[in-house]
Amino acid sequence: MILEVAGLIVLGLIAGSIAAALGIGGGVIYVPALVVLFSFDQHIAQGTSLAIILPAAVVATVAHTRLGNVRWRLAMPIAVAGIAGAALGAWIALSLDAEVLRRLFGVFLLLVAARMGWRTYRLSDQSVPEPDPS
Amino acid sequence: MPKSDSAPCTVSPVNTTHVKPALIGGAAGIMAGLFGVGGGIIVVPGLVLWLAVNQRQASGTSIATIVASSSAALVAFGISGRVDWGAALLVFTGAAVGAVIGARAATLLPERTLSAAFAAVLLIAGIRMML
Repeated sequence: MILEVAGLIVLGLIAGSIAAALGIGGGVIYVPALVVLFSFDQHIAQGTSLAIILPAAVVATVAHTRLGNVRWRLAMPIAVAGIAGAALGAWIALSLDAEVLRRLFGVFLLLVAARMGWRTYRLSDQSVPEPDPS
Repeated sequence: MPKSDSAPCTVSPVNTTHVKPALIGGAAGIMAGLFGVGGGIIVVPGLVLWLAVNQRQASGTSIATIVASSSAALVAFGISGRVDWGAALLVFTGAAVGAVIGARAATLLPERTLSAAFAAVLLIAGIRMML
C-alpha cells in the first residue's frame, strides 16, 4: 500500500518532467506504467491518465506561457477540433473490450516510438542551430 | 528548424489557415479519447512540420490544446466510472512538480537526448502492452 502510494508519486515526478519537456500530455507514459507496473484495467488506466494529464497540462501551460512558448491564436482552432475528436475517440474506446484496447494501445506505442526514433535521427543528422523564436 | 524547400510558409495565423490546425486538433482529439493520452504526439509534429512553428512554441502551444482535448475525454471516461481518482491525485502530485522541472529542462537539455531516451522507453512499453 505505502509502496504503491510512493510508486505512483514517483511515476508522476518522472513522467511529468518528461511530458512537459517534450510538449506532450504524458499519457504515453502513464497508461503503460499503470497497466504494466500497477496492474490497472486498460480502460481505468486510460481514464486515470486523463485525470492526471488535465491538471498537469494546466500547470505546464502556465509554465510555458511564462516562457512565451504558447501561440494562443493557433491553439484555439486546434483545441475546438480537439474537443470534438476526443468525444468521438472516447466513445470508440469505451465500446471496445479491455484486452483489444490494450493491444491496440501497444501498436499505438510502437508507432509513437518509431516517430520519436525518426525525430532523434533527424536531429542528429542535421544538427541545425536552435532558431531564435523572437 | 529544418524547413521544406517548397513553400516559405508564413507563420502569421490568419483566418484561412484554420483548416490545418483544425485537422491537427481533430486527429489529436481522437487519439486523446481513444488512448487516454494528451494528443501532443500529433500536435507537436503537426505544428513543426506542417505549420513551420519552432519546436519550443510547438511544445507550449500543444500543451495548451491538451487542456481542451483531455477535458472532453475525461468527462466521457468519468461518466462511465473508468477513472481512479485517488491514483490520479497521487501521480499528479508528482507530475505537478515534474512539469515545472520539465518545462525548464526543455530549454536546457539537448532535444536529441530527450527524444532518444523517450523512444527507447516507448519501444519497450509498446512490446510489453502487445503481449
